[in-house]
This record gives sequence, C-alpha cells and structure tokens, in this order.
Amino acid sequence: MAKYFDVIIVGAGPAGSLAALKLARGGANVCLLERGKYPGAKNMFGGLLHNTPVLNEILPDFHERAPLERHVYRKSISFMTPRAAVALDFENETFDKPPFNGYTVFRPAFDMWLAEEAVKAGALLSCECTAEDLIKKDGRIAGVTVKGREGEIRGNIVIAADGVLSFLAKKAGLRQDFKAENMGVGIKLLLGFPEETINERFHLVRDQGADISFLGAMGDMRGGGFLYTNRESISIGLVTHLDSLKASGKAPYEVLNDFLEHPSVKKLVKGGTPLEYSAHLIPEGGYKAIPNLFTGGLMLAGDAAGLCYTNGLNLEGINLAMTSGALAGETAIDALKAGDYSAKILSSYKKKLDESFVMKDMKTFKNAAAMMHLERLFRTYPRILANIMERVYKTDGVPRSKLLRLARKEALKEAGLKGLISDGFKIGRSLL
Amino acid sequence: MNIENLPQMTRFEVDEQPHIIVNKEICRACDHHACVKACPANCYTYDEATQLLSVVYETCLECGTCHIICDKGSLEWNYPRGGYGVCYRLT
Repeated sequence: MAKYFDVIIVGAGPAGSLAALKLARGGANVCLLERGKYPGAKNMFGGLLHNTPVLNEILPDFHERAPLERHVYRKSISFMTPRAAVALDFENETFDKPPFNGYTVFRPAFDMWLAEEAVKAGALLSCECTAEDLIKKDGRIAGVTVKGREGEIRGNIVIAADGVLSFLAKKAGLRQDFKAENMGVGIKLLLGFPEETINERFHLVRDQGADISFLGAMGDMRGGGFLYTNRESISIGLVTHLDSLKASGKAPYEVLNDFLEHPSVKKLVKGGTPLEYSAHLIPEGGYKAIPNLFTGGLMLAGDAAGLCYTNGLNLEGINLAMTSGALAGETAIDALKAGDYSAKILSSYKKKLDESFVMKDMKTFKNAAAMMHLERLFRTYPRILANIMERVYKTDGVPRSKLLRLARKEALKEAGLKGLISDGFKIGRSLL
Repeated sequence: MNIENLPQMTRFEVDEQPHIIVNKEICRACDHHACVKACPANCYTYDEATQLLSVVYETCLECGTCHIICDKGSLEWNYPRGGYGVCYRLT
C-alpha cells in the first residue's frame, strides 16, 4: 500500500465514506481506513436512515441500488407508564411516495455498500486497520499510525470520522473527556419474523415501514425505547443516559427485558427469533458539547464531531454525519487545490457546517439536551397523560370533570406547581 | 432475551490480546463497581469473596459504556486490533 495520500479518512461509516466518495470524485488520492473486518462491522444505530439531500445529490439512484429495508410510512410516539400507553400515531401519504422520508437499513449492509461506492470512485479502502495515533509534523496533523502494524500512513489532511468515542479528536486536543450525562447508550435486539407477520402486526403493505418511539417505561432511568420494522425483522431497543444508567444500578438488558414484557410491547414482539444483539454509544450532549471541529491538517466528521441531537421527537445523527462528511470532503478538495492544509483554510469546513441544516438544527435544539435530563419527562408526564386518559374513558359512576380541570388536577397532583413551572420553562425553551 | 446467549446471537472475532485491562487494585478499592451492572454485554464480574474484578473482553461490544462511567481511572480501554472484536452482521 502506498504510504502517502492526499487525504486519509479514518472510519468507513456514513461520514467517512461520503467524504471519501466526494474526494475520490474530485480526483484526490484517498485512503479510507476501517477498523472492522468490513465497513459497518462495528456500527449500530436504531434503524432509520433519514432522507438526506447530500446523499440524493451524490448518489441520485441510491434508493434503487442501496440495500434498504423499508421506507418509513408510519411514525408513532408512545408515552408509557408501567401499565399503560398513550400513543400518537401519524400516517401520511406523502411519506409513502418518493422521495421517501427515510428507510430502515442494516448498518453492516448499508455502510459496506456506501464504502464500495467510494471505492468505485477511486478511493482505497483498507479494512482491519485501527488508527491508533496521529502523526504531527510542522505543527499540524500529517498522518496516522495503525495499531499492531509497522509503519505509518502519511497524508496532507486527515478526516477523523472514527465514531462517537473519537480517540483521534482527543489526541489532537479537540475535545475534552466525555461526561456521562452527555452520552447515551443504545442497546438493540433484532428479532426475526415472517414478512407477513410484520405487515399484519403494524398495518403495513408492500415496503411500508413503521418507526415507533416510546417515552418512559424504563424503570427509574431517563430513557426511551424504539422500534423499527425491517423487511423480515424488527429492531427493538432502548436508549438511556449513562449517568442515569449508572445511578439506576440496573443492567440495560434487564431493563430491555422488562420493556419487552410491557403489555403494549409484548404483543408486537411475540414469537420473534433473536437474531442479533448490539450496543453503541450516542453523543447526546447536543450543540453545547460539540468539540472543536478542525485544526491544522485535521477535520472531524459524524459522531466524532458530536453531530447528533434528540429533542424527544427527532433523533438524528446519520443524516448529519453524511452531510458533515461531504462538507469535510469539499473543504479538503479546496485545501488540496490551494496546497494549504492549515487550520485557517480548514476553518471553512466549520463555516459550511454552520450554513447547512446540520448546525442550524443543532442550534435550534441547543436547549433540548438539558430538557432530556428532566426526570419527570420520563415518568411523571407519561403518568399524568395516562391518568387523564383513564379518567376520560373510565365509566364507574364517578361524576366527570371537563378536560382542563382534569388535566390541572392530575398535573398538580403529580408534578406540583413549582415543578410544572420549572419544567414548562425548560420544555418551552427547547421546543416552542 | 437471555444475555448468556450473546455469543450465539452476535459474532465475535476473538483476539488473543485483550483490549481492556483492569487495574485490580483500583477496582478492589472502588465503592460502586458500576461497570458490572452497566455493561450491556455483561462482561464484568466482581467476586466479593476474593474482591477481584474480572472482565471477559471476548464478548465486548466495544460500546465504551464502562470506559466512560468508570470514574476511578481503572480501565485501560482501547479498540481491538484491526479486524478483531465484535463483528455485526445485520443490526
């Protein structure tokens, strides 16, 4: 393998592969390093590949060629208490027509496909290479060393798309140590079913898919559940903050098992064959936890750049990753043309991100990370909702109240006036 | 789901070199052993009798939960060598 490249990209995930694709098409000599046996071997997510303009633009026919499972037609959010669930179900015909709003995918399949596209464009993919450290030269980053192998790989620019834990960002001094409250862990069980069972159970036809999020029902933990339908399997799992997991003293798979026994979940997953179990961290610190994104000779992209957010309704990362990868690739092309790899020229990467929806969305929901730390959001509010619904429908001879009076009574009983005002302020600042 | 069945569900390419090394002295003095419960793959065990913390790195999912929640600095946590470790097929 040649030891000198225009650009070395660490991590053949969605961010790294899109950067590689963009660069290879731009005529650059690109090396794409992947620590797994194949791209995607180390990657896991809930299950939804969001519609991403940059992917449509770079690979306009990807929906015909990429290994996709189902397009998401039904979106539901379910507020859970240990015994009840209040759900909001959204079906929309526009989500049933191209361009689809998102697809469920298997990461090993999709990531491998995307990396192959970069290879077809001329990038050199090198798997089983764990980048261990950065090489510095003349005050800037000029390459990486690979674990367990002799020698070094040098280049003009390194793009670190090495995932949520990005040891390279740490080594470059671009990020601090992680805080447990800024990190979520997702665990997921893949359950196999016949295609017809999934279609019947989730009221789907053809390639339609469902995306259900569950708020609450995680015992004492701040967290939620997710369910995505694939063609012949269901991805089901949960996400919780690490500080909350630690404080709960529970094992995540025990909480998942309790969740699978919840009356409204049990019937959805009954009879499934366990196919694979996985776990991965999620950067959940939001806008305020974004590291410095570049330095001389180095840019961060994807999870390594902390580009991921949740506000309780949206949970986005892969679309931000791909967009950041493409923008890092673009920036690198400009830098190669100029023959200048300094922090000054790479700062246009940050500018491009700021102008894109990536940083705009991160900024819009910059207060949501704090909101997602409200304990009451996960236990008290689902319970208030469930209590209201129970009183609305229960016919037991107790005289009825009008809705507002009922809601006020339940909310005050469960959260107290002070709690409601303080939470209302935080939720308002995050979402309204 | 029974976590004991993890090796039957998820594929691992086991390296003979461990990628996680615990400092048994630090772990003995630890007051919470939070890694034991928090690990999504149940890799950690603390033996009260011998006061020894042990890790089965062979079925590690490389998520990094332990690396972040250990506040005692006991873990030397790295990615496995290229090609080794967890090898997701679907997910």
